[in-house]
Amino acid sequence: MMPSLSLTLLVLVGVGSPTVLLAVLGCASLLNRPLPERWTGRIAAGSMMTACASLSVALVVYGVTGTGQQLVSYGAWSTSHEGGIAIEFLVDRLSLAFGALSAAIAGIVSAFSNRYLHRESGYNRYFVLLAMFVTGFLLVALAGNVEVLFVGWEFVGLSSALLVAFFHGRPAPVSNALRVLSVYRISDAAMFAAAVLLRHIAGTDSLSLLFGGGRSGSAAALTGSSATLIAMLLIVAVAGKSALLPFSGWLPRAMEGPTPSSAVYYGSLSIHAGCFLLLRSAPLLEHAPVARVLVGGLGAATAIFAGITTRVQSDVKSSLAYASLTQVGIIVMEIAVGLYTVAFIHLAGHACFRLLQFLSAPNVLHDLHGLENAIGERPSRGRRYFETLAPNRVRRLLYLVALERGFLDSIIDRVLVEPFMRIAGHLSRLDRWLCDAGVVTPRPVPIEASENQDE
Amino acid sequence: MSDARLWLAGITVLPALVIAASYFRIEVERLRRLAVASAAVMLLATLVISVSPQLRALSIRTTALSWLTEGEAIIRIDALSSVLLPFAAGLWVFTVAVTPRAALDRGGLRRTALSTLMTVASFLTESAVLLVLLSLASVWTFLSALSDTAHRAQRRIVAVYLGGSALAFGIGVALLIGPGAGNAKLETAGMWLIVTAALMRKGIVPFHAWVPEVFDHGRLGPAILFNAPQVGAYMTVVLVVPRATPEMLRVIAILALGTAVYGAALALVQTSARRACGYLFMSQSALVMAGLDCTSASALAGGLLVWLSAGLAFAGLARCLLVLEARRGRLDLNTYHGGYERMPLLAISFLCMGLACTGFPGTLGFVGQELLVNGAVDAFPTMGFAVVVASALTGLAVLRMYFSLFCGRPDAPSHSSVQFGLRRRETWTFVALVIALIAFGVAPRPLVDSRFAASDKILLLRDTHIRAQHKH
Repeated sequence: MMPSLSLTLLVLVGVGSPTVLLAVLGCASLLNRPLPERWTGRIAAGSMMTACASLSVALVVYGVTGTGQQLVSYGAWSTSHEGGIAIEFLVDRLSLAFGALSAAIAGIVSAFSNRYLHRESGYNRYFVLLAMFVTGFLLVALAGNVEVLFVGWEFVGLSSALLVAFFHGRPAPVSNALRVLSVYRISDAAMFAAAVLLRHIAGTDSLSLLFGGGRSGSAAALTGSSATLIAMLLIVAVAGKSALLPFSGWLPRAMEGPTPSSAVYYGSLSIHAGCFLLLRSAPLLEHAPVARVLVGGLGAATAIFAGITTRVQSDVKSSLAYASLTQVGIIVMEIAVGLYTVAFIHLAGHACFRLLQFLSAPNVLHDLHGLENAIGERPSRGRRYFETLAPNRVRRLLYLVALERGFLDSIIDRVLVEPFMRIAGHLSRLDRWLCDAGVVTPRPVPIEASENQDE
Repeated sequence: MSDARLWLAGITVLPALVIAASYFRIEVERLRRLAVASAAVMLLATLVISVSPQLRALSIRTTALSWLTEGEAIIRIDALSSVLLPFAAGLWVFTVAVTPRAALDRGGLRRTALSTLMTVASFLTESAVLLVLLSLASVWTFLSALSDTAHRAQRRIVAVYLGGSALAFGIGVALLIGPGAGNAKLETAGMWLIVTAALMRKGIVPFHAWVPEVFDHGRLGPAILFNAPQVGAYMTVVLVVPRATPEMLRVIAILALGTAVYGAALALVQTSARRACGYLFMSQSALVMAGLDCTSASALAGGLLVWLSAGLAFAGLARCLLVLEARRGRLDLNTYHGGYERMPLLAISFLCMGLACTGFPGTLGFVGQELLVNGAVDAFPTMGFAVVVASALTGLAVLRMYFSLFCGRPDAPSHSSVQFGLRRRETWTFVALVIALIAFGVAPRPLVDSRFAASDKILLLRDTHIRAQHKH
């Protein structure tokens, strides 16, 4: 169905305003002429408000006109007889509601960050990355084809890793950012592979055709095995981005970033990107029962693991991150059993609630310290927890697993990273040997002076 | 003389002028200014040629020394070469504008001009014999840059691999022109020799050992200028793709896809920044080769796009490394070096060019890689996913380099007076390149369309040739 002009314009403004913000702040950074804080804060707030308002109005227009799902096209990056890459957005209740919610949350975080990061040396860098995140997230929310979805997915991943390394004067945030990025790259590769397979098997990259009309969509054209294969790749992509098992190890590492970015990424929006993708590809999951069972199992396992782990965290951000993960696991389970509306309401409510918790956490800690100082002791917790029902041995075991965060990092290191590094190391030595022994006999000592002579 | 010929004469005279001037007793700084001005004018002129339809229709054909009955164009400007000319000129501007003053002497300026002249001449011809001669000359220029005793070992390895490549190329072409004409077996042998030459020149596994070695222990500047234009890819596209058998193309594509993953994986574990850069180049250059040999319009156009984007982005990345080395000495990736706050522009440029190199969305490489992967999966359903793996690994390798070279260590307050910033010409050159990579990434349509036009022409030539062979 042809979209109305007003919807086309509203969506363009909604996605365009954070993109313009990214371009303006990015150019200022590139030219090493960052805008004054006052301007940056105002422009960012204005841009987020514009995005939120236009997407909200679009949602109202969509509801009033009741035209059904629509594909809004803004040209193409390439065209050919073998199929080009179009810039398309899928407009329906799910995408507009999620887009408007995301823009609203980003606006709140932007306003909060303006004061929180006042006079911080990376103030401008933070807002560039936040603009990149919001642009990417809106692209994910409104993507009309797999290429646009992938663009958004990559923007979210890169901005997330760079914000984890925001305090880049210390080695810990940087090494943790690299670790987070490693998992994201696995997720991105799975996403890319799923996109290519979808295009290759179904012959189209349009999400409205693939996942649009429930059983009438092209997902029905996918056979059982191909639907399962694509669904499995999507599950890997979702697990990586939403920190589901076995990729949950990166979540506490990501807490190295500034609190507002932790709030928007790991409390409210980025961590739910996987859930949104599952909601969007629900028709595909309906054709892949094996994948659906796997999604449900993954959600349940993640919820239990995160629920236990969150109780032993010694810092408030990690504790909140694992608490978020518990809810994400439950949302994933809801999607697996087909409760799509419940899952979306749960997602939206949890995103807002956790955002509030993350942003108020520093104040709560401050108040708590004041209270402790006033009364001279730690306030009594005065509550009982379900763990106390378990036998002592089980409790000790659970405590150990939770304390070590499920040993997930060391398992991934042992299974994936170390063999990869070993093989790559051997190959690298082989290449050196080919030069040293095979072709070149003497290896000269590098002479610094001559190395400077480089044109 | 037609307009196109005048323009061509103009663009070839500019590097020749710098070469001639380098033999006179002109101050090196003035010579450099002349080189920068000549390169800038050449870039503008080639841009005019690439956008003007009248200037793009030049072809001077001859049947002399050609193995094709219809002859070969010894000079021509078409959809393929019209975009490659500004690419070569851009690399020259970039080299002479960014290289630290102390590192670019009279001989260096002469070599850069000579190298550019040969690259431009290669991109202008279809003649196999001329390409052999130009290939020999460019290898000789590269070897002359490694003539000092400190680089004896690298000189030997370059001589073995690239000399071998030029030799195989020469013998292959000689077989096709001489006894091979009309003899199917000798023609096939000749084609295989040309394919081997292209693989060696491009550093495709198992002929790759010279690439990381030259980047690591050789001289980075000449290595960039020799490798970034990817003349080996041009040899493939002009001589191999239109006439090779499907088996040949399959072998090349599979080796290239394997190399893309191999290079990306090894870039991730290197401790030397230069060596990591060498492996990154290997990976990206192999992707170009894979795209060119998939014989689908999408993959071919994708390969041609990645050729431009990876060439420019890689040259920028490696130049960032040189600029950084000029300030800090040799760079080890096992430690964090910090310094973002002192040189934010260099850090941002490095990151942007690294991401462009890996085909990150919003940069020119993205559309190219998308087209390439779709075409590659159509041609090789399993191996095509190597592009996906290579892309993931190169992204990680680039971010690892960025974090190691610019982050992880606070700037020492005691050294706050030490100026690490970029000079003005460095600043503007890096900014211009980053803006170009992003601008063409956001609005790639004109470039994509021109690459599709070029790929359609190449595939049409291949169809014609195959039909003629069947008839024969």
